[in-house]
Amino acid sequence: MKKERQDMTRRDFIKTTGTGLAGAAVLASPFGPLAGRAFAEVAPPKLALEKNPVVKVLRWSVFIGTDKEYWEKNCRKWEKVTGGKVINEYISWEDVRPKAAMSAAVGGGPDIVLGWHDDPWLYPDKLLDVTDICTYLGKKYGGWEDVCVRYGSKDGKWIAVPMGGPGQEIVYRKSWLNEAGYDEFPKTNEEFIKCCKKLKEKGHPVGFALGHAVGDGNNWAHSWLWSWGAKTVNKDGSVAINSPETRNAMEGMKEIYSAMIPGCASWLDAHNNKAFLANQISVTNNGISIYYAAKKKFPDIAKDTYHSNFPIGPVGHPAELHLFNQAFIFKYSQVPNAAKHFLMFMLEKDQCAPWINAMEGYVTPGLKAYRKLPIWTADPKNTPYRDCIKNMLWNGYEGPIGPASAEVMAEYVVVDMFANYCARNVSMDKAIAQAEKAIARAYKK
Amino acid sequence: MAIERSGSKLFKFYLPLVMYLVFLLFPFYWMVNTVFKSDKELYDMSLNPFYIHHPTVHNIVRLFTETIFLRWMANTFFVAILATLISLAASLLAAYAIQRLRFKTSGPTGVAIFLAYLIPQTILFIPLASIIFKLKLWDSLWALVLTYPTFLVPFCTWLLMGYFKSIPKEMEECAMIDGASRIRIFWKIILPLCLPGVLSAGIFCFTLSWNEYLYALAFISSSAKKTVPIGLVTELVRGDIYHWGSLMAGALCASVPVALVYSFFVEQYVAGMTGALKE
Repeated sequence: MKKERQDMTRRDFIKTTGTGLAGAAVLASPFGPLAGRAFAEVAPPKLALEKNPVVKVLRWSVFIGTDKEYWEKNCRKWEKVTGGKVINEYISWEDVRPKAAMSAAVGGGPDIVLGWHDDPWLYPDKLLDVTDICTYLGKKYGGWEDVCVRYGSKDGKWIAVPMGGPGQEIVYRKSWLNEAGYDEFPKTNEEFIKCCKKLKEKGHPVGFALGHAVGDGNNWAHSWLWSWGAKTVNKDGSVAINSPETRNAMEGMKEIYSAMIPGCASWLDAHNNKAFLANQISVTNNGISIYYAAKKKFPDIAKDTYHSNFPIGPVGHPAELHLFNQAFIFKYSQVPNAAKHFLMFMLEKDQCAPWINAMEGYVTPGLKAYRKLPIWTADPKNTPYRDCIKNMLWNGYEGPIGPASAEVMAEYVVVDMFANYCARNVSMDKAIAQAEKAIARAYKK
Repeated sequence: MAIERSGSKLFKFYLPLVMYLVFLLFPFYWMVNTVFKSDKELYDMSLNPFYIHHPTVHNIVRLFTETIFLRWMANTFFVAILATLISLAASLLAAYAIQRLRFKTSGPTGVAIFLAYLIPQTILFIPLASIIFKLKLWDSLWALVLTYPTFLVPFCTWLLMGYFKSIPKEMEECAMIDGASRIRIFWKIILPLCLPGVLSAGIFCFTLSWNEYLYALAFISSSAKKTVPIGLVTELVRGDIYHWGSLMAGALCASVPVALVYSFFVEQYVAGMTGALKE
């Protein structure tokens, strides 16, 4: 009897206060610039939680140890607030997509999936509408970055909650850059190409993945392509890869390839990390994991490691691709309100800020207010990663997001186009024609 | 003359043998080599990579203290042994029936079983997931025990069909004249004679179950119920950071049981694979 009364009180409390944390104005907290900052007074959506909800979450296994520590800590906090339970399943990040697709197909499995890029667009009709919590979070935390709206909402309805992205930026060795005659990292494509060549001349080649590296390869190839004003498809999904801009991008890539260490055409995601930490390359694109690993195990390399945003190409503005993570709830969930409440709770400042700070810059959130978190300025080397979601375009830019864009990425069409031309002696025309055919096939379905 | 013979043996036998052994054992040497190196040494390209300069057991300690590797090993054993037993039982009966009972559709049945083997796992796992879900076996080791035979039974059946073919029919006919039933014949005559074939099929089943990845990934969620291949990848590959030393330690430890199984039954295995019973 007593227990029942306690449950009722807790649920009533949550019903009327939404997250149980969000209703009141934010008072002083230990999170630096966000401390004492009064966020917009927005009433959280009223979510009547199911009784003793058990929320099963499928997510990528942590990149950085503190991620899991704080994520779990926040889960326990949510359990305390709601009386529910959270069961997290961690699997390799590349395996989340097939497992989520299987759950969508059979109608069972985790309630929430933290998936990648276009995942929610592969089965949008099977996902719960999360417009209420996304609208609330957006209003409260300064709005969502543009790419979040693009990825998370379909036909004006939110189908996924953007969690942020493990961004990719340029990682370089400062002393070697100085040796090549540069004080700071080049800001334009043209200067960047010259710099790579000079570094090679000095005995410090660069290294960018042109193999089937899910993150590094795709991000590098797409960012480079877009920076020249080229794209795979137009707004209406018609194929646009065969353009003068693509040819310029390919010429530029070939020049950079001449400054690369041998073997980049077969690199997977882990190769550039290893080559950088083994002093084999001077520049690469990567998440903050290289710097993180260096700080732990190779302090000398860490001291000399710096980051920069991708150079700006002829297109005149940042046009980057990063890994993008979003959480979605399946309609088959027996605890839809609890699942929504959980996601909302996890992105509230009291949970999200310490989680992001603990990851030392590995994940950049999609809510604009979190650009002010101390982690982005505590170590100036983290700062470029702060802006990756802001500078990001969506996979399949500038066409629609969906199964076709997912297929083009999954088949490494853009990566292979560059690799075929640069490393496999395929003519430019043929490499573009092959890519054009693959893109057309994907978008015709 | 003798020198000539020994020289010829050196080039025709020992040299190819050594080359083959190097080719075969190099991955294991590389695993051991990586296990006992620190990350610093692993990433130092100025050092000779074939030699361990500063041996460390840190990677092994990490594997056993920071992950539940032994639990994964136990799970893998449980699944591999049960899946092997179920598959062998089903395959023996199927192969015997197809080969000996000679019913009307025995030929097409044999072909159909073989065709089932050709269906890739990547296509099968979604309908299987639906069944597993309906049976409420999601996140249970029994899901693996029951699904692994879907790819083990067809191959084993074909292997054993070939083996049964090599056993003279006359032996069964003699037993029948003496009054033995089909079951008795199978149990007392056929099974002992085809033991090498059964063992080789068993080793095949055990190895495939031990290394299976896709179904284990799809049907298991809890960390404590993972098998070795899934557990290692989940816990020791973090995004683009690979904990190579501990990964290799895990791979090495996980390959020991399979190597032991092979070493115990190597003669029967070879006999089983080569078709075996001499008339």
